[in-house]
Amino acid sequence: MISSFLADPTFLEDMVRILFVFVLITAALILSTRNIASLLTVYAVQSLLLVLIASSLYFIEGNRTLLAIAALTLVSKVLLIPIFINIIGEKIKISRDLKFNYLEPTPSLLVSMGLILLAYVFLSGFFNEFILSKLFFMGAVIGLSLTLMGMLVIFSRRKVITKVIGYLTMENGVLLFGIFVADLPFIIEILIVIDLMILVLLTTILAIGLDSTSEEYHQRLQTLKIWSGGEEQ
Amino acid sequence: MIILSYLAAGALALALILLSKSHRAMNAFSILHTLAFLAIGFYALLTITVPAFETGNKYFYVDHLSIYEVLIAALLFFLASVYASGYVESLMQAQELHRNNLKIFYMAFSLLLTTATLAFFSDNLALFWIFAELTTVFSAVLVAILSAKENIDAAIKYIFIASGAMLFSFIGLIFLYTLSGEILGSGTLNWTVLMENSVLLSPKMLTASFVFLFIGFAAKSGIFPFHTWLPDAHSKAPSAVSAILSGVLLNIGIYGILRMYAIVRQTEAEAIVSQFLIGFGLLTVTVAVLNMLLQKNLKMLIAFSSVEHMGILLLGIGVGTPFALFWTLFYVLAHSLTKASLFFSAGILHRQYESNLIQDIKDIFSLQPIAGWGFVIGSFAIIGMPPFPIFSAKFFILLEAFEFSKSLVFAVLLLLVIASAAFARVLIGAFTRSSKEAGPEGIETPLLPYTVRNGMKFPIISIIIVILALGVFFPEPLENLLNEIVYELGYL
Repeated sequence: MISSFLADPTFLEDMVRILFVFVLITAALILSTRNIASLLTVYAVQSLLLVLIASSLYFIEGNRTLLAIAALTLVSKVLLIPIFINIIGEKIKISRDLKFNYLEPTPSLLVSMGLILLAYVFLSGFFNEFILSKLFFMGAVIGLSLTLMGMLVIFSRRKVITKVIGYLTMENGVLLFGIFVADLPFIIEILIVIDLMILVLLTTILAIGLDSTSEEYHQRLQTLKIWSGGEEQ
Repeated sequence: MIILSYLAAGALALALILLSKSHRAMNAFSILHTLAFLAIGFYALLTITVPAFETGNKYFYVDHLSIYEVLIAALLFFLASVYASGYVESLMQAQELHRNNLKIFYMAFSLLLTTATLAFFSDNLALFWIFAELTTVFSAVLVAILSAKENIDAAIKYIFIASGAMLFSFIGLIFLYTLSGEILGSGTLNWTVLMENSVLLSPKMLTASFVFLFIGFAAKSGIFPFHTWLPDAHSKAPSAVSAILSGVLLNIGIYGILRMYAIVRQTEAEAIVSQFLIGFGLLTVTVAVLNMLLQKNLKMLIAFSSVEHMGILLLGIGVGTPFALFWTLFYVLAHSLTKASLFFSAGILHRQYESNLIQDIKDIFSLQPIAGWGFVIGSFAIIGMPPFPIFSAKFFILLEAFEFSKSLVFAVLLLLVIASAAFARVLIGAFTRSSKEAGPEGIETPLLPYTVRNGMKFPIISIIIVILALGVFFPEPLENLLNEIVYELGYL
């Protein structure tokens, strides 16, 4: 019974469309959620949606690379990265990111709508030269929108951990864009994931440094005097 | 062989640094690392027929442009590691750099040189992308190494802006891959293949892909409006690192733009992309110069000056004539060297006054004659006074731009005057200040001169000698090298 569904491209395409809507919902949640643990769950769910999209696409297209991408995403972004950030988050005892720079959640959701429209207008201007089916065009639009919304998260949230999730969202957007627009060699996908891991590792370690409002850190600051002298900047 | 020797030398240096226990040993290995990279570069330049694929596959490509960039990088790293021998010791003595972080510092330093080198040699643009990303990571470690809050803040800002923008570049790469797939059957990101088939690429799509790629490369090289991380990171990093950031890391972004422009230049998209680059160049120079004018912080001033120079490089690329490219390439070398001498001098001044604020500088020539004169001469050189090399580079780029648009040249000249005024303001204000003119609080206790350690003077003096020589005498091998690059990029 399942196999008959999997063999039916129309059904699969509809599934992918529904998954697109879910992806946008997760992006909106990342823009507005204040609790770090929930943010991580949302990110993991978003990555899982990408796994499902890539797998459905495999059943439509039969391109093996998509399956590999799905597996890689499952291991790295649904499991490893969220678990790692969760451990760090507990270590530095940040459970909530309450403050927003520039944009509160409601205006930033409105801005996101604008960004999705922008992505649509921009891509429809360029993609008429490609022979791309409706579904694939939609995938590209959602991918680019997700990237832009991730950027908005980096801008509008204060805590480093939340910014990291913004960056990860951007990367998910690029992945989505990539699987719908081009069949990139798998090696490139692996390279991006490695890059992502190093970046997450580094930024979270730096976040610990920033957060260590412990005695030792203050002491160090005092012996430092003012390293840069550029405070008034 | 070249790429493999670079990899081997890089890995060996990293291992030796990892195993060494004293600062002296780590520094020595780091200097040896840079010397080995310089030697391999010169060997490649003199003995090997380039352009060539080196590793038996098409991932790495050695041509005159990549060797030139690698030699500049290795030279800057060499000077910085010599400078670091004394400078890092001072940082540790002042307890600004924790002894535990020393090994991380030298390892990141070594990894940064290796990844930057591999980035310059990558023929596959995705490979270039990943190495460029890694340079961001390692250089951010070097910015954060002092573990003061401002440093970590600056490093985090740097990572998020540069890496976030690089994700847009990746979208550009996906565009380019699909675009090449349309004409070649299967997609490719190899620069050489794209260059060969550039005429077939659809100009409209190529422009779109260029714009996306530009976002990431512009952020890497501090182009407006993605420059906001640069002044913080460059001014808060230890001075040996600042010199690398300005002299090498910014070149990576410009290199990416240059390679992409070489492809675009073969197509009809050239006109619009040229205007795009010139527009961003002009905006970058304007924003940088306005920030320089009333700057209170010495290192911030130098950092914004880097932004200004990146803007001029963008103009040079955008003008797009072979002659303009020639001088743009020369400009890269001149800027890297001059900027390093300024940061090295500023590093000594920071040790002396324990501050980067311009208002804290006094009695400079009696306390720190080398750094003082280094800064004065460096300032003259960086604003483009003759006979320094930036003068001729700027002059000829603007001369070519004159054909493009007269008003553009006038606007740039006006901005350059403001930039000169910004440096003049510092030199006249701070460098003539003496503690004998008693402040409102009465007579202050005179400062004791900071003893400049071994190795810190050599880079400043040698750079000044080299730029003076380059200004009055243009060596023929360099001229031939630059001509080869212009030819290989398809300009002639």
